[in-house]
Amino acid sequence: MKLRNLKFALSSAWQSFWRNLAVSLAAVLSITLILILGGVNLLVGHTFSQVVDGFRLKVSEISINVADGTPLQTVYDFRDQLTADPRVATVTFITKEQALVDFKADPNNAVFATQISGNPLDAKLQVRVIDLKDVAAIDLLGRRWSGVDPVDPTNYQGDFVNRMLELSSWLGLAGVGLMAILVVVSVVIVMNTIRTAVYHRRKEIEVMKLVGATEWFVRGPFVIEGVMTGLIAASIALSLLVIAYQPMVDRFHTDLVFIPLSYDPSYITFLARDLLIGGALLGALGSYIGVRRFVRI
Amino acid sequence: MRYTARDLAARARERLTSLQEFQLMVLTPDFDSRPIISFQHVWKTYPTGTEALRDVNLVVPEGDFLFLVGPSGAGKSTLVRLLIREEKPTKGKIFVEGVELGRMKRRKLPHYRRKIGLVFQDFKLLPNLTVYENVAFALRVHGEPDRLVQSRVAEAMDTVGLSGKEQTYPANLSGGEQQRVAIARALVHAPRFIIADEPTGNLDPATAWEIMQLFLRINARGATVVMATHNREIVDLLRRRVVAIDAGQIARDDRSGRYHDEVTKPQIRAQ
Repeated sequence: MKLRNLKFALSSAWQSFWRNLAVSLAAVLSITLILILGGVNLLVGHTFSQVVDGFRLKVSEISINVADGTPLQTVYDFRDQLTADPRVATVTFITKEQALVDFKADPNNAVFATQISGNPLDAKLQVRVIDLKDVAAIDLLGRRWSGVDPVDPTNYQGDFVNRMLELSSWLGLAGVGLMAILVVVSVVIVMNTIRTAVYHRRKEIEVMKLVGATEWFVRGPFVIEGVMTGLIAASIALSLLVIAYQPMVDRFHTDLVFIPLSYDPSYITFLARDLLIGGALLGALGSYIGVRRFVRI
Repeated sequence: MRYTARDLAARARERLTSLQEFQLMVLTPDFDSRPIISFQHVWKTYPTGTEALRDVNLVVPEGDFLFLVGPSGAGKSTLVRLLIREEKPTKGKIFVEGVELGRMKRRKLPHYRRKIGLVFQDFKLLPNLTVYENVAFALRVHGEPDRLVQSRVAEAMDTVGLSGKEQTYPANLSGGEQQRVAIARALVHAPRFIIADEPTGNLDPATAWEIMQLFLRINARGATVVMATHNREIVDLLRRRVVAIDAGQIARDDRSGRYHDEVTKPQIRAQ
């Protein structure tokens, strides 16, 4: 019996979508526009979070410089102490010699490298901290260590890290805020579009109720139609976004060289999932609210 | 003359063609049996302050054929709306088959409406659906299987004399044919009682008679019929139970009545 009702709901949703094509297309168009906005928000958010993640990775690693002449055992002891610290992800000891090799290998230092005589570089402990918040504490630990180079103890830039933390939390908040506004606006638009569609069919709803249809029997086809509308809109929005994604990233990459933007094709799967679910939910919710006034027995 | 249920079933199979014939088919309701519908001191006041019904008491036994008559605005439509539970009474109780409508839970309402056959003046057919789909609609809503829908629709179409018009759209039918489709839809789920609100209001006299024949035949099969009407000629000719409503009150309840009270002349009432 339930299956038959579902079959009836599906076929009447399909018929109604095509019979009221103009209104259906209006609903598809409005959901598409909203999903494009939402999709752009997701893509921008993802691209910036990639950039922020890159920065985070950089600033979550500090180098504690070892003073020349510090016994190797003291360094190893301190390395072991850091490794045992739960806030620390990895600790790598880089000897003076290795530091020089790394320095020379960096093409940015090509000119300097030819002018260096001897080895002015410090040996160092490269510490990757799990949480950005703990970098300052690990830095303090390094500075208090007996073997640290008193002239140039660490490469920690407290201000920069704090600003990065602040920026990334603001970006996240702005993204969530924008998404919330989009959801509210879109539900209102979809609800009104679908209410128009329902208004055209109020006679049908009246007859359904008079012959003994339950509220869900009346509502079902409309909600399914809403889901269909949402999925069609999501597919259109997704296609447009996928087509535009790489050219837009390339374009901004050229214009804003200092921000390391990158195209991430693996994110498209997540984008597709989010847009399809978002579209279906929007359509369903819009229909559910839009039809409520007419359906109530 | 009283008929047993077997007599009625046998008779119902015969197609009635003349007034004389269906006059014989009078199903005499048993007023002593448990009533199918009962109004007990029912008042209905709309939020605007209009008193549509005032202390209405009415008992409808199973198998009754009842005309609700009265001038426009007298309260006939309110009474019908209360019966199909589109409205609740302000005061008093309405029982249908022993269940009080005012206390009926909203989720039970669809099941209640499935027991009723409804026919309206404006037919209330769905223009996008074919005749077949319109009649089948009442069964689809109940979630009935396709095979049963097909056989029931065919039976109902035969009863109303519209076999062969299944694939036509309502717009291509005459008013009388559209009302037949509406009656077929009301009949298709074999309801215990039929409520008709001005079913002949939009039809010419000849067609109105044809539609009345249908209602009489349905009644003869055992269904209770409550019909609000302005059609004086039909009421006077059929001499069935007449409940006259005036200014929200029952002015008259005759078991074999006429449209106008024989004592109070229509000319006088019109003044």
